[in-house]
Amino acid sequence: MQGRPSDLAHLQSTMHAFELACNSIQMHVNPAAAEATILSLGQSPRPYQACQFILENSLVANARFQAAAAIRDAAIREWGFLAADDRRSLISFCLRFVMQHACSPEGYVQAKVSSVAAQLMKRGWLDFTAAEKEEFFHQVKQAILGIHGVDVQFTGINFLESLVSEFSPSTSTVMGLPREFHEQCRSSLELDYLKTFYCWAQDAALSVTNRIIESDSAVPEVRVCTAALRLKLQILNWDFRDNTNAAGGVRSSINVFSAGVRHDNDSFKRSECILVKPGASWRDVLISSGHIGWLLSVYGALRQKFSCEGFWLDCPIAVSARKLIVQFCSLTGTIFPSDEGQTQEHHLLQLLSGIIPWIDPPDAISKAIENGKSESEMLDGCRALLSIATVTTPFVFDKLLKSIRPFGTVSLLSNLMCEVVRNLMANYTEEETWSWVARDILLDTWTALLVPVGAIGGNALLPPEGINAATSLFALIVEAELKAASASAFNDESDSDYLHASISAMDERLSSYALIARAAIDFTIPFLTRLFSERFARLHQVRGITDPTETLEELYSLLLITGHVLADEGEGETPSVPRAIQSYFVDSLEADKHPIVVLSGSILRFVEQSLDPEMRASVFSPRLMEAVIWFLARWSCTYVLPTETSNGNNCYSGHDDEHQLDSHHSSKDFLSFFGEYNQGKLMLNIIVRISMMTLISYPGEKYLQVLTCYQLLPALVRRKTICVHLVALDSWRDLANAFANERTLFSLNSAHQRSLAQTLVLSATGLRNLEASNQYVRNLMGQMTAYLVEICSKNDLKNVSQQPDVILSVSCLLERLRGAASASEPRTQKAIYEMGFAVLNSLLILLEVYKHEFSVVYLLLKFVADWVDGQIVYLEAPETAVVVNFCMHLLQLYSSHNIGKISLSSSSSLLSEANTEKYKDLRALLQLLRNLCSKDLVDFSLGEAADTNMSQVIYFGLHIVTPLISSDLLKYPKLCHDYFSLLSHMLEIYPEMVAQLNSEAFAHILRTLDFGIHHQDTEVVDMCLRALKALASYHYKETLAGKVGLGLHAAGCTDPDGKFQEGILSQFLHSLLQLLLFEDYSTDLVSAAADALLPLILCEQGLYQKLGNELIERQANPTLRSRLANALRSLTSSNQLSSTLDRMNYQRFRKNLHNFLIEVRGFLRTV
Amino acid sequence: MSDEEHHFESKADAGASKTYPQQAGTIRKNGYIVIKARPCKVVEVSTSKTGKHGHAKCHFVAIDIFNGKKLEDIVPSSHNCDVPHVTRTDYQLIDISEDGFVSLLTENGNTKDDLRLPTDDNLLTQIKDGFGEGKDLVVTVMSSMGEEQICALKDIGPK
Repeated sequence: MQGRPSDLAHLQSTMHAFELACNSIQMHVNPAAAEATILSLGQSPRPYQACQFILENSLVANARFQAAAAIRDAAIREWGFLAADDRRSLISFCLRFVMQHACSPEGYVQAKVSSVAAQLMKRGWLDFTAAEKEEFFHQVKQAILGIHGVDVQFTGINFLESLVSEFSPSTSTVMGLPREFHEQCRSSLELDYLKTFYCWAQDAALSVTNRIIESDSAVPEVRVCTAALRLKLQILNWDFRDNTNAAGGVRSSINVFSAGVRHDNDSFKRSECILVKPGASWRDVLISSGHIGWLLSVYGALRQKFSCEGFWLDCPIAVSARKLIVQFCSLTGTIFPSDEGQTQEHHLLQLLSGIIPWIDPPDAISKAIENGKSESEMLDGCRALLSIATVTTPFVFDKLLKSIRPFGTVSLLSNLMCEVVRNLMANYTEEETWSWVARDILLDTWTALLVPVGAIGGNALLPPEGINAATSLFALIVEAELKAASASAFNDESDSDYLHASISAMDERLSSYALIARAAIDFTIPFLTRLFSERFARLHQVRGITDPTETLEELYSLLLITGHVLADEGEGETPSVPRAIQSYFVDSLEADKHPIVVLSGSILRFVEQSLDPEMRASVFSPRLMEAVIWFLARWSCTYVLPTETSNGNNCYSGHDDEHQLDSHHSSKDFLSFFGEYNQGKLMLNIIVRISMMTLISYPGEKYLQVLTCYQLLPALVRRKTICVHLVALDSWRDLANAFANERTLFSLNSAHQRSLAQTLVLSATGLRNLEASNQYVRNLMGQMTAYLVEICSKNDLKNVSQQPDVILSVSCLLERLRGAASASEPRTQKAIYEMGFAVLNSLLILLEVYKHEFSVVYLLLKFVADWVDGQIVYLEAPETAVVVNFCMHLLQLYSSHNIGKISLSSSSSLLSEANTEKYKDLRALLQLLRNLCSKDLVDFSLGEAADTNMSQVIYFGLHIVTPLISSDLLKYPKLCHDYFSLLSHMLEIYPEMVAQLNSEAFAHILRTLDFGIHHQDTEVVDMCLRALKALASYHYKETLAGKVGLGLHAAGCTDPDGKFQEGILSQFLHSLLQLLLFEDYSTDLVSAAADALLPLILCEQGLYQKLGNELIERQANPTLRSRLANALRSLTSSNQLSSTLDRMNYQRFRKNLHNFLIEVRGFLRTV
Repeated sequence: MSDEEHHFESKADAGASKTYPQQAGTIRKNGYIVIKARPCKVVEVSTSKTGKHGHAKCHFVAIDIFNGKKLEDIVPSSHNCDVPHVTRTDYQLIDISEDGFVSLLTENGNTKDDLRLPTDDNLLTQIKDGFGEGKDLVVTVMSSMGEEQICALKDIGPK
């Protein structure tokens, strides 16, 4: 630092300029220029002397902050060619700086310098010898032990915090190095230092404990203790890995690409509660050192002080201590010796006894919070319970408390939750209060207890006392929900989204309720039955006399709750009867007396009354019907006409067989009641009648009809066993008949009609044989195709077609056809092909007359796309030719209407609507083309003729679509995705067709490819790389065979101005290398990039050599230069890489490229 | 289909009818609707209820297809709305006169000279420029409820 006077003057002037810039950026005076000045310091070569000068001499805190940032930027960039001494001195400078200025009031400068030191330390971590590291850490240790006073002690701990967060993969800073580097640092720190740091933190905390406990007001030591607790918490949050799979000793083979994922299943279970698994080596520090006792006693002492000045429930030290205690609750894994959980139980009991005062007695705690006490301690208590529940079984959980209290932990949990629910009931608001938060945490705790790790859907059993606790809790929960329901019955929800949200948002909560309910199933089912019958009776009493709204809303809630209790969400599968219900055994042997049957039956009898118009008008409001339909959909999936295998064994493999056998027997008895030979068909009939009624008698109730069309009916036709009975039911026939031959269902929203058509066609799988199924579809759709054909044959079509009622009819018909087309299955394929075939001509006529009517054109295109999608794989050559020809005509017609068309409107929103319409049309067209393409993936048997036809239509399609696609349109992610997937497919299958495109179309395609390679979506980039690979390898193979390949496109040309333009392959070689070496991309793409790069290099050997040499020459540093040269050489020569394009060779090149990038990317990007 | 739907013949001569009734619940985004006696294009439909257990109603946000003004309406889902009869006809552009009228060639060879150019400068230049460059232009004229306006322009190649 001590230089000649002229140096000093120079440094001073730099500092002044820098300070000026920092000040002006704060005052917002000419910020761009100021920013440039600040950045230029970090970007200049070797700015360390100036930075250090500023740090030590500047009085402007912000300037010191920025100078530290500049040191970081420059050092990371230049690290590769800094001398070892320089590297070390930079780190020691930073460390010395923070220690010397430990009492500086500008904390943020301190923190920045500290983090710069941490980052530089990490950058050099793998190069420093153990002794060098030791030297740095010696300083730090001295500081932390408190030898230089409290402030330095704090600074030391602070530095370790920065260091740990820098080494943890999720919080590390980007350094432009491969992931492997970060991984090695992480692993090294975890093995060699983490525990030591923890001990230092503990020592620091111990050294100040007495001072804190003795004093009655805040002392400076509190800051040290808080920081130490925070550091400990941070270390316990570390993603411990080396201990969990300690067996795999081969360190060098760490898979850097998957090491970021934890391998244990537990961590997927719940995001809120992270398990802490530091492994056996931590046992001495965390378990046997009496550490927990110390922590609890410190917090206990703090609790006494909350009345004193400087301490309160939410003061930092209290918050940190509580967080650490909660963290200790989730300690698990090999840190506990294998003594049947004794040590862990002891550990948890110790913690629990410390936590109990936070949450017990619940009523007193709740009252105190209502009177203004902070709720944070209570919430932390709840979180601790959640953690404990996550690491224990229900029995161990319950037992813990019994040794110190007359009741078990489950009872405490239940009491606590009851208190919370009572509080919620008393203060019914829409706002989030402490009791909301507490309820959610406690519900998670119940879920953690009742759904043990690894079990699917089953309920863990509670001890008897726990069952009682669950019983009273569930009763209270239902009471609270009902009260909330009747209280909110008259709230006028103007927000339409609320309806959708109310069911799905409550869903998670209701699932937790259902777990509690199922834990106490003996009580729950009769209880719910009673609640229902009370409300049914009340409705009948007050009908026509008083307003039933409150009761309706209560029933709405009850239906949702009961639906969750009785059945699980199927998510497209057939959910089996919940385990708790399967094993629900009652003495009565008659199936129709089984409580489940009684409950289901009473609900069904009630909802059946909605078929009566009078009852419907007075009782069954649209909202109540929504709950009814939702309930029926969920319930019928599990219970109606159960298949023998639906409660099959495969779901529960792993449980003891004896128990399973038991449950099987009891469930079989009552399930048979819903079966084929008992009430099953009758119930199905009622359900279908109710569905049809919601479609006809609730005109315009969109959401109700959504539930019927998208949930209930599809759920029915999903199982073939049900379809068999459905098609035989009168009610189903009525529905099909109304759909095919009557006008009533035209008043449904047209999208719902589509779904209805799909459902009805799908039910044809229930018929005996192929012919019957096809005939069923013909009967269903025949009238509609005939009608469309008839419309199109009218002479005055042109005038009539524009009438709104005709537009409506045509739209509905197209939607119905589309619904039927999307239900294509092998059994009905023939009839659906005929259906489409019958209207092909009419479609072209409609496309012509409706060319200005976007809504019809769009539906038409969507129908064709879906029809082709469903049919193409089944078609024989002549049929395929028909379809392909038709698509050609369709594309021609569409393009003749749309190419060169400009919409004119003075309204910007109408114009943007027109744009969106264009986008949707294009997407439908792309889908159509892609669906056509799928033919050549499944079927190679087509003759030569059909093949050229297919490639022609796609080639033609590409010609039509590409001019319509602009880079603005590619901003729509879905369109972008569709476009590139089509493009890559085209280039892979028909490179020769693409080569024939005229230069304008070809150039357009390449521009979009270039755009795609730099896209953010890795899937898009991947598709583009595949396209490139196809293009380049086609050219390479063709030219090898002496043909022209891409011909002029690849050769490059001289443009009119006389400038030579590179051929397209050269351009892509350029941009791909640029991307790989210098830009950001996901490492997942390297393989795909290798596949594209290899043929490019082979095509353009000369250019590749030239680029490689340029790259080497640009490298100033001789070591790096030779490293780069070697790497480039081995990229194309190692692993016996040859110049053929076969599978083996591609694989070898992938490996080579991976190694190459690891070798050079680190320094290429930073220099 | 039952007899009542064979309405083609019966309505064919009623092409002059300006609007048709349609249930509010079936009107979708991108459809047309009459609000305050103006033909509009629907840009947003949402449904809500009159009270929790009441019936559904539709809330339409629509844009006047001629003047671009935004209009809104709330209608019970089961009630009918008026839907305007909107037609669009293509004509070849023959001439643009000094006084702001266009001369169009109809399908049967006559000319149609009663349509004014748009007043909006932007649109005006788009049409005038295209015409000035000697392109062969087809204009689409949208008409509904007694009003007419040029709504689209298409270049069908050089003259």
